[in-house]
Amino acid sequence: MSFRIGATVLIDHTGNAIQSYSFKTRRILGCISKVLKFLDGYKVDEIHLIVPLKQNRPADMSEIFLKLADIPVSTPLALGGGINVTNLAQISKDPFFERLIFNSAIYDDLDTVQRANLIMGRQSILACIPFSVRNGELIIYHAREDCFKEVPRGFWEKLDSMVNEVILVDAYSEGSKTGFDFEVLKFINFPHDRILISGGLTKNDIYRARNMGLAGVSIDNFALHSELSIGFLR
Amino acid sequence: MTINIIDIGLGNIRSIEHWLEQSNLSSRRVTSPSSFPEGAIVIPGVSSVGEYMRRLKKSGLDKEILERADKGQKIIGICLGFQILTNYSEEDSGVACLGLLDGCAKYIDGNKTHNGWESCEIDSRNASGYANLPKKNKKIVRGRVYFNHELSVTLDSQCYSKTLDNGIVSFAFRDNIFGFQFHPEKSQQTGREILKLVV
Repeated sequence: MSFRIGATVLIDHTGNAIQSYSFKTRRILGCISKVLKFLDGYKVDEIHLIVPLKQNRPADMSEIFLKLADIPVSTPLALGGGINVTNLAQISKDPFFERLIFNSAIYDDLDTVQRANLIMGRQSILACIPFSVRNGELIIYHAREDCFKEVPRGFWEKLDSMVNEVILVDAYSEGSKTGFDFEVLKFINFPHDRILISGGLTKNDIYRARNMGLAGVSIDNFALHSELSIGFLR
Repeated sequence: MTINIIDIGLGNIRSIEHWLEQSNLSSRRVTSPSSFPEGAIVIPGVSSVGEYMRRLKKSGLDKEILERADKGQKIIGICLGFQILTNYSEEDSGVACLGLLDGCAKYIDGNKTHNGWESCEIDSRNASGYANLPKKNKKIVRGRVYFNHELSVTLDSQCYSKTLDNGIVSFAFRDNIFGFQFHPEKSQQTGREILKLVV
């Protein structure tokens, strides 16, 4: 199985692509349709489209999702951000994506994750887990509560049965090329060949991830701005 | 030519439509067995077999697909759509499928999933004798294709097919039945070339 080189794109409530830096500041990258077309043209292996939940946004994202659905993209898409049991039926009724990404639901809304498994199949379910390793301890991000928390007991085992793959996002290094914190892998009881990493990635990090047998990487704006060449990395 | 896409409220239909549009092919969604054109029928992927077959039967489209396949209408199954072309799938505690290709869909060894890109080569000259491919100037498609599945097809009938090094059947063609385990609609340029080769 080939190592995948994907891209993460965040979307704000107006439908613009944005870049987040260390979970603190944000910058608008431009119209989402143009961003997706560029990434499609760069032949990234997959695109992770995420609507950050903590941002002020309308309760109903269907208008933005409809806009996304009209963008012809021939690259695999995964969609995430505020998916719950209420909007899952609507989102999955006419999907323009192949996979769903969960964060909050994996902590406190397992019904939604199970329902998504039923509708789309387990191979289509991803978890996105922003993390930080501080003073030798791992804390992970809960989007709905907009805070980092300790890892609940049995979390990774439960996750293993619910989702196909995990995207680990180094929150501190997000939006930079300061290096991904590989120390996180010491704390995680989840198969490495089902882990993608994101945040702070350098070329060396990408080569290291490949050599470690991880499933792949998800690059942020450095893919979009061609600072990391997909063809070269592949 | 208008391509028919089975629409029972499941599967990545929008992606299929974009794929067809990019190749200048028109499409229509088919929600019931009432009359629809004689162009190829696409059964999309991205779902689970239990729910998909339940809705297919409820709509009556299961019988319609079988009848149309019998009359020679081209059937294109993608990912789950390929798996339900066989007799049976292990998913969702075991589900009887359409039986257009002798074989079944089984969980990949070790209950693993298969996600990512693999090489693919389809040579229409080698397919002749097995499947009804239109005559085109371009005979061979080579490139990368995208897989995302947790069950894999085992074939009991002779087809034009290719198997990956990990034992997964990548595609299988027989007569007017075309099954792809990968997602040609999400395989960028290679996917568009495959569409031109098959339709």
